[in-house]
Amino acid sequence: MTAREGHGPPRFVVTTVEVEGREEETVVEIPAFEPVPWSPRARHDLVGKPVHRVDGEAKVTGGAIYTADVQLPQMLHARLLRAPIARGNASGLDVSAARAIPGVHAVITGRDIPNISWLHGAPLLGTRVLYPGQPVAAVAAETLGAADAAIRAIVVRWSSRAHTVGVTTTDRKGRSPGAPAHPVTQRQQRGNVRRAIERAPVVVTQTYRVAPVVHQALEPHGTVAWWQGDRLTVYESTQGIFRVRRQLADYLGLATSQIRVISGYMGGGFGAKNGCGSHTLLAALLSRKTRRPIRLVLDRSEECLDTGHRPEMVMTVSVATGRDGLLRALDFEAWVALGADGWIGSPGQLLHRLYDCPNVRTVETFYYTNSGPMSAFRAPYYVEAAFALESAMDLAARRLKMDPVEFRALNLARSDQERNRPFSTNELPACLADVRRRIGWGDGDRGHPAQGRVRRGWGVAVQIWGAAGGPPAYAEVRVNRDGTALVVTGTQDLGTGTRTILAQIAAEVLGLALEDVRVVLGDTDAGPYAGNSWGSMTTASVGPAVRMAAEDARRQLCEVAAALLGVSADRLTMRRGRIRVGGGRKSVTIERVTEHLGNIMVVGRGHRGPNPQSVTVISVGAQAAEVEVDLDTGVVRVVRVVAAHGCGRAINPELAESQLHGGIIQGLGYALFERRVQDPDAGSVLNAGLHDYKIPTFADVPAIDARVISAGDPMANHIGVKGLAEPPIIPTAPAIANALFNALGRQPTELPLTPARILALVKKGRKFRR
Amino acid sequence: MRSGTRPPRAAGRVRVSLTVNGARRSLDVDPRTTLLEILRERLALTGAKPGCDRGECGACTVLVNGRPIYSCVTLAAIWSGARVTTIEGLGRGGRLHPMQRAFIEADAVQCGFCTPGQVLSAVALLDRHPRPNASQIAEAMSGNLCRCGTYPKIVRAIQRVARRRKRK
Repeated sequence: MTAREGHGPPRFVVTTVEVEGREEETVVEIPAFEPVPWSPRARHDLVGKPVHRVDGEAKVTGGAIYTADVQLPQMLHARLLRAPIARGNASGLDVSAARAIPGVHAVITGRDIPNISWLHGAPLLGTRVLYPGQPVAAVAAETLGAADAAIRAIVVRWSSRAHTVGVTTTDRKGRSPGAPAHPVTQRQQRGNVRRAIERAPVVVTQTYRVAPVVHQALEPHGTVAWWQGDRLTVYESTQGIFRVRRQLADYLGLATSQIRVISGYMGGGFGAKNGCGSHTLLAALLSRKTRRPIRLVLDRSEECLDTGHRPEMVMTVSVATGRDGLLRALDFEAWVALGADGWIGSPGQLLHRLYDCPNVRTVETFYYTNSGPMSAFRAPYYVEAAFALESAMDLAARRLKMDPVEFRALNLARSDQERNRPFSTNELPACLADVRRRIGWGDGDRGHPAQGRVRRGWGVAVQIWGAAGGPPAYAEVRVNRDGTALVVTGTQDLGTGTRTILAQIAAEVLGLALEDVRVVLGDTDAGPYAGNSWGSMTTASVGPAVRMAAEDARRQLCEVAAALLGVSADRLTMRRGRIRVGGGRKSVTIERVTEHLGNIMVVGRGHRGPNPQSVTVISVGAQAAEVEVDLDTGVVRVVRVVAAHGCGRAINPELAESQLHGGIIQGLGYALFERRVQDPDAGSVLNAGLHDYKIPTFADVPAIDARVISAGDPMANHIGVKGLAEPPIIPTAPAIANALFNALGRQPTELPLTPARILALVKKGRKFRR
Repeated sequence: MRSGTRPPRAAGRVRVSLTVNGARRSLDVDPRTTLLEILRERLALTGAKPGCDRGECGACTVLVNGRPIYSCVTLAAIWSGARVTTIEGLGRGGRLHPMQRAFIEADAVQCGFCTPGQVLSAVALLDRHPRPNASQIAEAMSGNLCRCGTYPKIVRAIQRVARRRKRK
């Protein structure tokens, strides 16, 4: 025994946490006790079971309250004036007529608010316009009608200046008139790509384009802000209540403790609701000015203009292999049209991770353009890069005359080549084999059956995603006097089922029925800290904290029960509401223990420990698509998608399947329909709505056979889970594109796969395999 | 470019009488008021959601005389005298409607924002077609968008209710 052990181990360590494909270092407290990991195939009463959502009834009855539903005393309604130009100036602002409208309580412009550094240092509500839809003024009124009238009554002179839209060759040379900032370039290389390509017997190179697409969560962004005394309460539809709180505090010069952020139910985010928006700040400022609660909910066109998007990208990929089909080099260059601002991630990471390849070079250039700021959108950059890489892989397979599944199986990554360490578990080979078997790949005539002018094709694609989750995340489990439990944590449920999953974990540990556990989340004044629900991190981050809190509560209950039963606590088990001695008959109900305690409360505390440093934790999947394409009309119909994903333990397989459906259907929209069109000359967005911007509907949905095939990953964390929400969108579009490649004999290189583009492909490639 | 117009003239008021979830309601409203606004802001029935406010997404769907309509693009005044059912009034005597139960059982719910509209459209569909086939479901439900991707499970929920009715 060393001297140190006597004083316990150090309390804090540095650990690595991956957020949306980027690694960050964080200092983390080492748990006082770390629960023993659940074994991979451990059998549980509730964990791993397809129980119904605990908030299902609230959602099917209208009882779930979303931000726009919040009604406060004397609440006012707010609207924003947004720029109709892509770049230029707003001058001669005159709000006097707007202020004179009956029912209008406040009209604010940049002159009326403190200087808040917003976009590239320009102030919030500034008059220098950098994108269409940029807010210039805000109004609060008794009714929405009065607020709208006031917006229309604001006099302003708009003067347009040259702007830049999208990725163009002009941009690549760095000449982009009006760009809000200089481009940023990132490079990463392992091995020597140039030399490997020169020496490789097989090299394919292709350029791919993807369109900008919008999140289109059905619930628009919105805020209800209420300033009372020196405290601000904000109801916000957000993926990160604590992040919104910190950002609001920074922008408004407040202490975080002066702000409470609440997100009870929220109607989808997909990355667009990761922080405090201009609408959040303006609602708060209007409330401070009027001393009344303010409700500011964006309309659908605002959603399309100024709440983020997946960026337009051009990508060139080279795949070099030996004659044996083994990868020798991957070369990737990407040009990203970010928007006026945005998050610089890394599409190249997919190429550094997915396949076993000694030489990989990625160059990524991000351009600032006169479009609304970009924000992360479900598996940001991986989705775009997967279309390019997985298409290029099919091109290489064809050149090699290899089956696309076999070519991939041969080259899948066996370890984390960037960090030179093994994966904790890697279910990707099993996923690929499973998908191949279930779709019947290789049975008969793949791609050939053609009925007249309708052609059929099959395609496959695979995916990898860093999915460890990580600290910090905290939870509390309070045991009530009636023997039920309350889980309290500062995370939020975006609709993924976080409430349900956390209830399952706590109920499992405490041996309670699911209905005897309630979960409180989405309130910075209630829950201890948990991070943003982004990067597919929530279950793997908060889940272990909840288990630890429940184990802590369980230990305390057992100590009391041990005294009541006259045995030692380590002989006790808790199940089905009873604490039992060994396997014997002697037992006591949990309720009896809590009644005995009276008002002495059992509170368990838990937090998320550090990530393992010797392994990389990944979430993987394979998908195969079957499509039909009409050669006369160019219309593509996706007939079937088969998906297998590996994400460690699925706490709830039913909810996991719902996540897979969601990713696949969004991926289908990305493949076939979705595109935000910004007029290159006028700079305005031409389809800012759900009519002209088509997302998938009931009629577009194929037969989907999607499942999680993995068991618990005990190295990842002690509940064995890895992230799942984002990964299933990654392979869908390339699987569909590869199916079209198979059907038409020519490869589509641009998303979305509109009928016009398909017809152009049909025209070019008349060489059908017959 | 120059914007800025005079405020609109104050409009008169009209009386609208509706039977909402079985209760008679009579309100004085601006004739430009939509049914959605009345339900949400005057009657505190917030189950019908404003997803687009222009008849594109279906989150505001309610039943008027048993038929699904987009309440966000429906002036309340034109339906004076009509029977309106919102999600809050679908269940009877504190019990869930079979379609609501089926949505929970099939996990046809993710974020839940579109769910009230989906449930009401599904109820109206089964009133018209007690045993709908796949294309009837797709057609009847296509006016209700969902971004989370619950479509396959909503179809399962509808089929489950149709099957149970058949057995009875």
